Amino acid sequence: MTKDGAPALRMDSVRKVYPTGDEEVVALDHATLTIDHEEIVALVGPSGSGKTTLCSIAGGILSPTAGTVVVAGADITGYSARRLTDFRREHVGFVFQTVNLVPFLTARENLLVVDEIGRRTGAPARKRADQLLEELGLAGRGRHLPATLSGGQRQRVAIGRALMNDPDLVLFDEPTSALDTQLGEQVMELIRDEMNSRGIAAVVVTHDERMTHYADRTVHITDGVLEGSPPR
Amino acid sequence: MIVWKEMARAKVRFGLLIGAIALLVFLILFQQALRDGLITSFTGAIEHQTAPVLVYSTDGRRNLQSSSITPELAAQVRAVDGAAAVGRIGQSTLSVRAGGSITAAAVIGYERRDLGAPQDLVAGRYPAAEGEGVANETDASEGFGLGKVVRIAPGGYPIRIVGQSRDTNLQASPTVFVRYGSWEQAVLAANPDARKPLPNALGLRPAAGVSPDELVARVNRLNPELEALTRHDAATKAPGVAQVSRSFLVIFLLYGLVVPLVIGLFFLIVTLQKARTLTLLRAIGARSRTLVWALIVQVLVVVGLGIAIGTLLYLPVSFLRVGSIPLQFDTTAVVGWGLGILALGVASSWFSARRVLRIEPAEALSGGGLGA
Ligand SMILES: Nc1ncnc2c1ncn2[C@@H]1O[C@H](COP(=O)(O)OP(=O)(O)OP(=O)(O)O)[C@@H](O)[C@H]1O
Ligand SMILES: [Mg+2]
Repeated sequence: MTKDGAPALRMDSVRKVYPTGDEEVVALDHATLTIDHEEIVALVGPSGSGKTTLCSIAGGILSPTAGTVVVAGADITGYSARRLTDFRREHVGFVFQTVNLVPFLTARENLLVVDEIGRRTGAPARKRADQLLEELGLAGRGRHLPATLSGGQRQRVAIGRALMNDPDLVLFDEPTSALDTQLGEQVMELIRDEMNSRGIAAVVVTHDERMTHYADRTVHITDGVLEGSPPR
Repeated sequence: MIVWKEMARAKVRFGLLIGAIALLVFLILFQQALRDGLITSFTGAIEHQTAPVLVYSTDGRRNLQSSSITPELAAQVRAVDGAAAVGRIGQSTLSVRAGGSITAAAVIGYERRDLGAPQDLVAGRYPAAEGEGVANETDASEGFGLGKVVRIAPGGYPIRIVGQSRDTNLQASPTVFVRYGSWEQAVLAANPDARKPLPNALGLRPAAGVSPDELVARVNRLNPELEALTRHDAATKAPGVAQVSRSFLVIFLLYGLVVPLVIGLFFLIVTLQKARTLTLLRAIGARSRTLVWALIVQVLVVVGLGIAIGTLLYLPVSFLRVGSIPLQFDTTAVVGWGLGILALGVASSWFSARRVLRIEPAEALSGGGLGA
């Protein structure tokens, strides 16, 4: 997956400051984090600690105020907005905290949209989408609109969408927060299995410590400062 | 794909817009046809007669029937340098008994066929003798059909219709072109006490190497009592025509405001409502250009369908008559308005496009998004 066995993610002294009015919010400070390819890292921290900010910088949605970000061997720190857009499309998978699916597209079409916004491949993409739906236990739900799916099913469609572009790194921002414990564990298990079988690295944000045992390693974040636990 | 799916899953919403555009297109085409039909039925006889230049008396104010050319004025015009031929033209609105009823008809007499007769016939032939005439084809329903004999009501002077022309009405009345002598006789028959009528206008043909415009200028320099006009000017600058044109222009300008407003607002609302979706797509790597292009495709499809349906609605109506005014399916007008409305539609989606371009992919994180 990753170029020459480079780590899936390398963040070095990353700082993110949001200018809000006349005050500045330091959402992330001196964040240094390396994620090996095929590694799943749980990112745990209280609300407002900077988890989403970290994910968006790692995925090229936001640019850091300072520091370097290297994803799968590509230093995206100085990328223009346009190049970042292309990079996200080609190399990163996202499962967002809130809005994840296009409401007027069916489950299958929500996966195919990834192909449509990039260089279209057509038939291979359709095959891949069907295969992913099958793996995610959604084989019979491909024609359903998001509104007619359960929360867990929706989350699984979002996971399928994140995997459509065969990414080097997938960022899951609280994928289980809207689900009950049992469903949450199912989804976590699914994430782990999908990542492991494909050898894709992932960051899974959660504030539920019970979910962390699905990850290879847990990293804690408090007030924008990372504090890692050693790899298992 | 996403463009089509969105429309397919919001059929009512997009259907309503398509319907609204179709209705506007229909109204525009209908009014355009009405305007053209109106103008043609008032001045078609002038626009489609053979004389390239017409000379009126100034006091006639470009109205054929009120104009009158005295022998002195006629002599001056005949002497003008650059006129290859001059022919008298007379016109009167007379009561005519045709098809069992009496109608007011315009009778136009021309001295020379190349100076005041209809340019083309669609049936029959030009008058070869006194008492023969050419009528407009649409007046056949009023008793002016080919082979019919109509009679000037007082006096009973008969005119046999031997030819039919197209778009050659005057003053929205049935119109008959006859030889100059027939016209004189018809007028005298209707009004036996009157003197022999004076010609209402002169038709002029410029000499080789002289343009109609030049000839017009030369005649107009002769005498302020004469007003020369090219054929086209005589038609479009006739009293009433300019006012009709201007009134319709105001209507068309209103459409020019309403059409982009309807399209622009609709797509702006749609864009605002799907801001979260657009933000999500940007976040997963859709270029803003891709999204703007999708918007434009959607606008073109919706407006294109609206134009197509509006044109289809108009098609059967274009064969009808509104009062005495026959409508026509004018392909040029349809294409012109179609392209214009497409352009207006795309231009009006500029606000939506700007919205799309302003979307920050980072909004997807917070679940925010424009207007959401
Ligand atoms: N666009 C922004 N403008 C200003 N401040 C922001 C912005 N986004 C986040 N912040 C601030 O940065 C800090 C970190 O936010 P972030 O969203 O990364 O936290 P989080 O750990 O994801 O929280 P949660 O668990 O609630 O999702 C917070 O104090 C937040 O208020
Ligand atoms: Mg968050």
